Amino acid sequence: MDNSPDQKQFELMCVVVDFGSGSKVMKIAREHGVTGGTICLGLGTIRSWLLELLAITEVRKEIVLMVAEKVVAYNTLEQLNKDLKFHKRGHGIAFSTSVKSFIGAVDGSSSASEESRGEENPMHSVVFVVVDKGKGEEVIDAARKAGARGGTVINARGSGIHEATTLFSMAIEPEKEIVMVIAKNELIEGIVTSVREKLRIDEPGNGIMFVQDINKTYGLY
Amino acid sequence: MNVLIGKFKEVLFAVLPTTVIVLVLHFTLTPLDAPMLVRFLVGAVLIVLGLSVFLFGVDLGISPIGHLMGGTLTKSNKLWVVVAGGLILGFFISIAEPDLHILAGQVDFVTSGVISKLSIVAVVSVGIAVMLALGLVRIVYNIPLYKILTVLYAIVFALGVFTSPEFLAISLDASGATTGAMTVPFILALALGVTALKKDPKALEKDSFGLVAIVSAGAIISVMLMSILSGVDRDFAGPASEVAYAASIFAPFGQKLPTVVEEVFVALIPIIAAFLILQYVSFRLPGRSVRKILTGLVYTFTGLVLFLVGVNAGFMDVGTFVGYRLASLDNKALVVGLGFLIGLVTILAEPAVYVLTTQIENVTSGYVRRKIVLLALSLGVGIAVALSMLRIIVPGIQLWHYVLPGYVLAITMTYFAPKLFVGMAFDSGGVASGPMTATFVLAFAQGVAQAIEGANVVVDGFGVIAMVAMTPLITLQILGLIFKAKSGKEGVAADGQ
Repeated sequence: MDNSPDQKQFELMCVVVDFGSGSKVMKIAREHGVTGGTICLGLGTIRSWLLELLAITEVRKEIVLMVAEKVVAYNTLEQLNKDLKFHKRGHGIAFSTSVKSFIGAVDGSSSASEESRGEENPMHSVVFVVVDKGKGEEVIDAARKAGARGGTVINARGSGIHEATTLFSMAIEPEKEIVMVIAKNELIEGIVTSVREKLRIDEPGNGIMFVQDINKTYGLY
Repeated sequence: MNVLIGKFKEVLFAVLPTTVIVLVLHFTLTPLDAPMLVRFLVGAVLIVLGLSVFLFGVDLGISPIGHLMGGTLTKSNKLWVVVAGGLILGFFISIAEPDLHILAGQVDFVTSGVISKLSIVAVVSVGIAVMLALGLVRIVYNIPLYKILTVLYAIVFALGVFTSPEFLAISLDASGATTGAMTVPFILALALGVTALKKDPKALEKDSFGLVAIVSAGAIISVMLMSILSGVDRDFAGPASEVAYAASIFAPFGQKLPTVVEEVFVALIPIIAAFLILQYVSFRLPGRSVRKILTGLVYTFTGLVLFLVGVNAGFMDVGTFVGYRLASLDNKALVVGLGFLIGLVTILAEPAVYVLTTQIENVTSGYVRRKIVLLALSLGVGIAVALSMLRIIVPGIQLWHYVLPGYVLAITMTYFAPKLFVGMAFDSGGVASGPMTATFVLAFAQGVAQAIEGANVVVDGFGVIAMVAMTPLITLQILGLIFKAKSGKEGVAADGQ
């Protein structure tokens, strides 16, 4: 808090929990000084031979996105980890990445900070893949083949330059799926290659993907 | 494993309240025979198992098919494809619906064959087909739901004037009877499949719901037209049949099984056929997805069979028995009060209610929580059953005394309530009147009617479903108005701690 505004560093916290727990995450985060957050719905993969046999491979999740100053963010994540027991399997995951600037906080200050990399010694990265609806599963399959443990699929809409149309009187934006896969840095290269080849991302109109560094993680194995 | 246990727990808590109420009644006012009690408990177990499996099946099978189909029809960008698709799907789904056949059988019976079973099934199916097509066209051309509903219910009112009170009850019941446990999830998903394409996120909330409502209105209008055109308006007397309670414990389950298996299977055929044809023509899903959907359909089938066998063999007799015994007591207020309670809790175990509330959560990204919708629904159905009991006990009250002001109120509210809630409310009418209501609550009402002098089991039995299909329209729209009143951003300035 002693930092002057222009040196403030911000973190984006991303917490994935079971459906219905998102509000609880927000409440805890608020108590620790986070000013607000956004909750969206997604589907998480589950790994269990029994459930896979039964063809039940997905479960509804809530993804909570919150931005806060670095100190606040780390403190909050620590608390969330304690309260929601991320260290236990199946209780959810949380991670944070660096944000260049954060505008729209309640105190009205907007500031930017130069990113100083490496101080957290990041071990993990997160891969985001945006594809047409229904292909999310393929992405996760490909990622798993390359060693990822699972992923989260978020329903979304969007259109690139290749697709914007009107059907009847409805303006259409095709349904998309955002797939979020977190993995150790040494696996990332393989995952990216695997998804790229399987989904033919390099050809236009097949989707996009990007990779981000993660500073802190909880609940990953 | 968490997922399985979680779902199981959820369903258990939905079925438990009904079970507890019946058990409490058993130990206090209306002791059941031992075989009946055991059958009831076995039925409850079957319902819990069946409902859990069914819900997984809907998630994996029915919903994806409906969603895909809605999207595919729309993406053709040709009006005739959407209309033809709606007509074909609507007709075959409706003709395969077991509830419609039961309703048609009853109509055939009470009109002594003047309106034959076959003709009513055919006419209602055509009505539903037309409405499903209309409902889809409404979504793609952005026609506001409340306008369509106003027109449709104006037609219902106009026809209602010419319909005899008995037939009024039957036709209004038709709205609930034709939208069964399998049809509702499918139609809900179909609507979502179309609206999910839209660019405007508000449209998703506005147009995702309402298709079930339009389809239900189609059933009402067709039955009314039939009764008017065939000139059946005389008073018909139902048989004063004594209900025989089975003495054996497990025989009823065995007897129900073959019929239920056949009914559920027939109801599934059009959905499977449509899926396989479209898979071949247009979807071309990878093998893994197809396998997943087919597995889902197997779950849907198994779950629904278990559920229906449990309800029919375990719950129905108990409903009639409890109703009869309660109404034989001197304190008639008790019947109304318990009717309220029974309505309040049975709706929780209605399969389609789960599907609707989950879809509401998904569409609103969790903003409108399942619990709050369930509360509004429960209250609505409780009030509906209580009012129905009052109607059976007090001879002067006619069904239209409730229905006319009720629908006028519901339609008026569509002009003020948030559009999301209008669609939700009118869909929930078809959703609330599912198999649980059609058996347990109806059986309870018929039991009460048996015990009350001057009440007619058949005539008074009709109309209960109509009430259950109407009151949620009002309670859910009230919920919408409450949401609207409270949704202003509170304390934007004061929130800076």
